[in-house]
Amino acid sequence: MKQFKEILIENDLHAAKGPEEDILRDVAACGYCENAAFAIKLALEEAMTNAFRHGNKCDPDKKIRIRYLVTTDRVEIEISDDGEGFCPDEVPDPTQPGFIDRPHGRGIMLMRAYLDDVQFSVTGNCVRLVKLNK
Amino acid sequence: MTMGESGDKSTDFTETPFTVSVSRLQGAVVVRLVGSCTMEHADRLTDQLVEIASQPKPLIIVDMAGLDFIESTGLGGLVSGYLRARKNEGEIRLVSPPPFIHHILQLTRLTQLFQVFDNLQKAIEQP
Repeated sequence: MKQFKEILIENDLHAAKGPEEDILRDVAACGYCENAAFAIKLALEEAMTNAFRHGNKCDPDKKIRIRYLVTTDRVEIEISDDGEGFCPDEVPDPTQPGFIDRPHGRGIMLMRAYLDDVQFSVTGNCVRLVKLNK
Repeated sequence: MTMGESGDKSTDFTETPFTVSVSRLQGAVVVRLVGSCTMEHADRLTDQLVEIASQPKPLIIVDMAGLDFIESTGLGGLVSGYLRARKNEGEIRLVSPPPFIHHILQLTRLTQLFQVFDNLQKAIEQP
């Protein structure tokens, strides 16, 4: 039975590429189609960016934790930061009039659109991403 | 990131270098995006588009044919460019986004901000 893998990285976008590549390598090895792989990559980039910018406020002394499991059936990824957290329900829908021309605020919407499940912890500093291999 | 042809089940996760090249054509500024606009590169796209859009009445054509990935910060760069161009009585038009990027533009309703064309000449000649 496969076990979750855990990686702790510096709060740095370049450092975040390592775990992303590891996960996508496992995704490829498990035979996911290109659309699923694209979705996972997109969601990973969104979650890492949120952790780096909004959670950890670009603070180089903070960390990002990645916990993931890739099987032939599903991909589960948890990404958490050292920030104070937030309430995802308070993030406006970026597709609504008045928000479409805002430069920011599309990451959560994209994660939800491309994955099968996106859940935030009660504290708001950890997101759990799930993609099924359909 | 390179993607297989439609229907190809193989996956290839090699990111391709992201480049932004700028040229002038028939009064328009053509910004050609090539490669993977990942979280590491999106700020560069924002900075360059905003700088170009700071000219008076800019007509900016963003050629996306060679773009193989973009995330929300990169989309935000397009929006920042749009806002600056609009402030300067100009416009940004998009050309030839690959299907998966066009889907993101539609999903986020950015197609309400940007006209999307299937070739460069049409984008330039549109009144």
